[in-house]
Amino acid sequence: MRDAIREAVSEGRMGDRLWLYATYHCNLACVYCLTESSPRIANRRTLDADAMVRATREAKQLGFTCVGITGGEVFMLPDFAETLRRVAETLPVVALTNGTLFTERLLARLEPLSDLDVALQLSLDSDEPARNDELRGPENFATVLDAIPRLLARGLRVRIATTVADQGAAELERVCALHRRLGIPDEEHVVRSVVRRGRAVTKGMGVELGPTDVLPELTLTADGAFLHPFAPTVLHGRTDLDLLVSRQIAPLETPARHFLSVVWDQPVGADVVRSIR
Amino acid sequence: MSRVPLLALDEAPLTARAWYREDGSASALTRSLASAPDLLETLMPFLGQVMGESSLDLATKELVIVRVSQLNSCHYCLAAHRPVALDAGVPPEHVAAACAEALLDELPERERAIVDWVDRVTTEPAAVDDGLLARVLDWVREDELVELTVLAGAIGMLNGYCIAFEIPPPS
Repeated sequence: MRDAIREAVSEGRMGDRLWLYATYHCNLACVYCLTESSPRIANRRTLDADAMVRATREAKQLGFTCVGITGGEVFMLPDFAETLRRVAETLPVVALTNGTLFTERLLARLEPLSDLDVALQLSLDSDEPARNDELRGPENFATVLDAIPRLLARGLRVRIATTVADQGAAELERVCALHRRLGIPDEEHVVRSVVRRGRAVTKGMGVELGPTDVLPELTLTADGAFLHPFAPTVLHGRTDLDLLVSRQIAPLETPARHFLSVVWDQPVGADVVRSIR
Repeated sequence: MSRVPLLALDEAPLTARAWYREDGSASALTRSLASAPDLLETLMPFLGQVMGESSLDLATKELVIVRVSQLNSCHYCLAAHRPVALDAGVPPEHVAAACAEALLDELPERERAIVDWVDRVTTEPAAVDDGLLARVLDWVREDELVELTVLAGAIGMLNGYCIAFEIPPPS
């Protein structure tokens, strides 16, 4: 299995990152959310901490080299700071967050992460508060801009992700100027499109995904294992299954086997154009 | 209306699509099972072995499938397998007899012994006796009886599944 994964990664058929959907629960309800996450979501689909740690350890044994954790909002999980540390003790991690829950108390709990290979990827969609908040919710812009310097001051690595709905080139350039002013270099800024899955379908937003638009990256959720992190989407309360590869997520070797069987049937993804990070 | 989603090909998990036909169609049963692709991976070959041609002829197997489905009142399996039984060479009067208690006596001795066996296995397996065993073994080998008994059990499982989830019968 380890050799097969190494070969598939080296041929560009899959990424070497394991993705974990920690929870579908969120304090926000972004208009383009892939997972219909919100404060009132009926089914939170939470992966427990031990499952995430176990998956990470098994991922390392199988040859994966890093982990991404997303949601939902990962910090809605009360013990996520500690889970992040446990995961990061095994493999480098990027955790995707909306950046709105960083109280001083939480920052203190995150401080031990500054010695580990952890990046926090915060979402920021515009340099204009009103434009950003239209997509991500009231007061979001101000909250995120308040959080970034406090995270950096604690020695934490911060990345910025901008999800493009209808922002033009000039607006994106202003976002770049903003993140540079905040001390975040260009290589830590991710720009990705709204993908027409989940709530974006309801809103008629985003781009359709073609079969080779996204590099396959094994993605675990409470509903099963999926082909990539854009796959385990929710529409009208139901998880989309079209990109499911296995209902089983442990031991990791089982979903990895199913994942590889799909990956080997797909064209080599050297020209993928979409990324979540 | 099914109580579980019947997934079309483009909604089905990538690892379940191999069980759809080339034109993208699949039985309602397969479409209902598609949301559990790991299960399909083992269930479909299992059913293929149990229900498909083996040392036992298909006609005998289809007679058993129809009879067990009749005992369990599974509309889906009866609708799906009555035509298959006819195609497999089960005479129409045997299919009719398997579906009506009053006609059972019209079955030839071999088919009647097999039907009596699967009736007992399906409805009251603890009541199987040596006499019934000896009677059916006059017509099939032991290994064939093992196959027929596993087939009866598998069909009973599918009957329960289709009934509980209200899988719509083929029209």
